[in-house]
Amino acid sequence: MNEDEFRRLCEFIYRRTGMVFTEAKRYYVERRMADRMLATGSTSFASYFARLRSDVRGEVEQFINAFTVNETYFYREDHQLQCLSADLLPRRILRPRANKTIRIWSVPCSTGEEPYSIAIWLLENWPQADAYEIEILGSDIDTRVLDAARAGLFGRRALMRLSADLIAKYFEQTDAEHWRLIDDLRQSISFSPVNLVEAAETRAHGAFDVIFCRNVLIYFDDASRRTAAENLYENLLPGGFICLGHSESMSRISPLFDVCRYSDAIVYQRPMERADG
Amino acid sequence: MPLVRKSTAAVDAPPADVEELKTALASSRPDERWQAARALIDMPGGIALLGAGLATEADIRVREVIFSGIARTATPEGAALLLQLLRSEDASLRSGALDALAAMPADMLAGRLPELLYDEDPDVRLLACELARGMPSEDATQLMADLLERESEPNVCAATMDVLAEIGGPQALPVLQRSAERFASSPFLAFAIEIAVKRIKTTLDSGR
Amino acid sequence: MADVTGKRILVVDDASLIRLYYRQALEAAGFTVEEALNGLEAIEKLLLEPVDLVIVDVNMPRMDGMTFLKTLRRQGSPIVAIPALVTSTEAAPQDLDAARAAGANFYLVKPLAQDVLVQYVRLMCGISA
Repeated sequence: MNEDEFRRLCEFIYRRTGMVFTEAKRYYVERRMADRMLATGSTSFASYFARLRSDVRGEVEQFINAFTVNETYFYREDHQLQCLSADLLPRRILRPRANKTIRIWSVPCSTGEEPYSIAIWLLENWPQADAYEIEILGSDIDTRVLDAARAGLFGRRALMRLSADLIAKYFEQTDAEHWRLIDDLRQSISFSPVNLVEAAETRAHGAFDVIFCRNVLIYFDDASRRTAAENLYENLLPGGFICLGHSESMSRISPLFDVCRYSDAIVYQRPMERADG
Repeated sequence: MPLVRKSTAAVDAPPADVEELKTALASSRPDERWQAARALIDMPGGIALLGAGLATEADIRVREVIFSGIARTATPEGAALLLQLLRSEDASLRSGALDALAAMPADMLAGRLPELLYDEDPDVRLLACELARGMPSEDATQLMADLLERESEPNVCAATMDVLAEIGGPQALPVLQRSAERFASSPFLAFAIEIAVKRIKTTLDSGR
Repeated sequence: MADVTGKRILVVDDASLIRLYYRQALEAAGFTVEEALNGLEAIEKLLLEPVDLVIVDVNMPRMDGMTFLKTLRRQGSPIVAIPALVTSTEAAPQDLDAARAAGANFYLVKPLAQDVLVQYVRLMCGISA
């Protein structure tokens, strides 16, 4: 793939999905594309690109899948967790609050690794945690994964990024290959079904301080993505933050949010309520 | 442990009464207008109301929610409103309308596109090229090639070339080659033609 | 006078051939070039790494050039004062006024030849001829 082809591919993917690949990710993009070319029997960039553009047999979705490892595990994208405890929550508690509840939403939450990771991370890394009531919700459109999330039973691979100390503190081993989250943790997180493009469903979840919404908007078409962004905007308190996946950008989706750059991540913010002018 | 489970209060749904929403749309608080605009889209007469408010609405978030609502509901009334806005003096309204049109189902626009490409206003023809980008390659190629053949405004020609360079098929090659002679004195257009021709040929070769 | 070494230019335009045309000219003149397809993406890129000059189109999806400039001029240091060259297909006096009011430093009408572009970019970056 030459320079020009790389840029054309990136532009198409950006327009179509909102995913952003910089020059720094070129090697990664080339590897994934080589895999897809092999899988589809394409012999040149031009023939693969033509296939991708016409979305032959759902190639766009296949291409996205190649980039978003669908396997989830604890402490995945921990730079965002770092950002949560170092930048986002400290800003959320700057202003006097009516109550001591901090609300965090993980959507989609899949089998629960993300909301549980947020819980463990905050207990371990946010010194002010004890001064607040932290409410974490996990939601997904797929009710089967929600059952698995509630059960809280995980295999070895899901725990690969956690230290032995953390595993010993928050899990009980059930057999050679499986660990169950301790009851205290499992019972402190709620799970619910939600469809992000249905305002009646999203509104029922209330307003949050921080929303993690990773690797789902890229699969939506343009109109649905914009609707989902509006629903998520409603689900944020004024000044609340939303984190997307590491290759995703809100810039292709919606101008509703302000962009904030913190040391560990780009996040998007619902502006504080303001009058005209 | 500081983690808690609670029964949460839902986010307020907007009022269901049109008169109340109309009042909210005139509020000085952008968030209130935002919520009212979102709800009005699905109400009878809502699109006309929102369309009338767009020109004076200064908040980009409220504008966005109106545009995306019109795109989502995809009604002929909404499409007509957007097409009118392509002639606006305000760049943000033009861009917003174009964006919303591009997000509408392709078959709603397919019938209107040829007349837009024949519009007497070159700015409208230029914006309409962007709508062709979302169409199947063969249809888009035909429309862009026909336009390029008769077009004299260089920036409109540049827009057809941009679309052809992305999704053009081989039937555009003769027109592009004829244009090369016509625009030999414009460095940018000569460059754009060269790239478009090269890309179409590469795709052609790889398909053999 | 400053020289061109290390000067970074962000080209904000949704037309890919225009970005490519500008990129070739600017890279040949020694500049480093970044690209964005709309105003929002441009703001994101600037927050990640500021540049020495932005070249901005007017009609773009999601965030047009005028809204981008107004947003840019409300940001904090170091990006608030980045010089902006608007290149537009619109040549009427009111278009120039609107661009200036939004925060443009200079305005050129499309289509542009590469040598003209490079000449103005050098000027705006404070590089002697």
